[in-house]
Amino acid sequence: MNIIIIEPDKVLARTYEQALQSAGHTVTVAVSAQTAIFAADDCKPDVVVAELQLAGHSGIEFLYEFRSYDDWTMVPVVIVSNVPAGEFSGSWELLRKQLGIHSYHYKPLTSLRTLLRVVNAAHEKALTTHV
Amino acid sequence: MAHSARPVDSQQLLLGLAEQLKVPFIQIARRAELAQFGEAVDAQAIQATADSALQLIDSYLLGVRLAENAQQQTLLLEPVSVSSVLYDTAHELSNVAAFYGVSLELSIAGKYGPVLAHRQGLQAALMSLGMSLIEALPNMQDTQVTLQLGAHKSRYGIVAGLYSEHQMLTERSLRQGRSLLGKSRQPMVGLTHSSGAGVFVAESILQAMKLKLTTTKHNRLHGLGAVMQANNQLQLV
Repeated sequence: MNIIIIEPDKVLARTYEQALQSAGHTVTVAVSAQTAIFAADDCKPDVVVAELQLAGHSGIEFLYEFRSYDDWTMVPVVIVSNVPAGEFSGSWELLRKQLGIHSYHYKPLTSLRTLLRVVNAAHEKALTTHV
Repeated sequence: MAHSARPVDSQQLLLGLAEQLKVPFIQIARRAELAQFGEAVDAQAIQATADSALQLIDSYLLGVRLAENAQQQTLLLEPVSVSSVLYDTAHELSNVAAFYGVSLELSIAGKYGPVLAHRQGLQAALMSLGMSLIEALPNMQDTQVTLQLGAHKSRYGIVAGLYSEHQMLTERSLRQGRSLLGKSRQPMVGLTHSSGAGVFVAESILQAMKLKLTTTKHNRLHGLGAVMQANNQLQLV
């Protein structure tokens, strides 16, 4: 599976990359919204894992642009963010319905094993939806 | 450049610091977990992360102590060589810079007279700025980024700072960041995805010594630095 990780913290990005690669996935890391769009163009992602708190353009801005391209309207996006989910409760409908977020996870409490599980679940759900 | 800023609010700074410290804890927890995926645990990386977090906490505490001393007029300032502080700061930052794939350069051309400062405080402030910039510099994989530590004379005084090719912070965004500290998770969105507490910890230390934090330019590079006044009397010491 091709996975893009949008993670501004370079150390954490490398850690996620290693964990997902060891599970057999191909991983591309982007540290900003801008580089994530270029990365998506290059690697045709099956799943995107994104932080919403990025330097420069926010993760929400990335999602709006990402979803504006026909090729990427159905690609599942998993949010792993430093922002507690409660702070997004007012925006959850926007995130889920308009921007097609598969699931939202609070980064400090999301283990690598959980990340791997939700990435697989998001991919499987996308496959069954396509069928 | 060199506008006088309001004193850093200690309560807001503490909130920013707490938010910032989540980052190294997450890094350590996840890197330790990598072992369960058959990957070797990078003990050096974990140590570098823990060291940088401890350094930030120490700098925060030093800032609080210096501010208290300044308030009680017991803060002892001494003649400090800017060049020597920059040299020591570069040395102290070398591990964390290598860890983030950032090259450090020293640029201390010219002679600068001693400035009146608290040596440990000045170094802690520059260290905090350095760590913040190293973490924020947009490098990944192939790109090699350089952070230059340097001093130059400006019309405001001697500026000791840290510079890179990337302009990540303007004076205006620094001002906005100050007002958003503790209220926003990302007070300086152009610089960092985190709270940028290191920048404000540095500012609180500088303010205790009656020095200023400023955005600055040097040799076509952009950076953050401390503005200090050369003391002619000290040059005779």
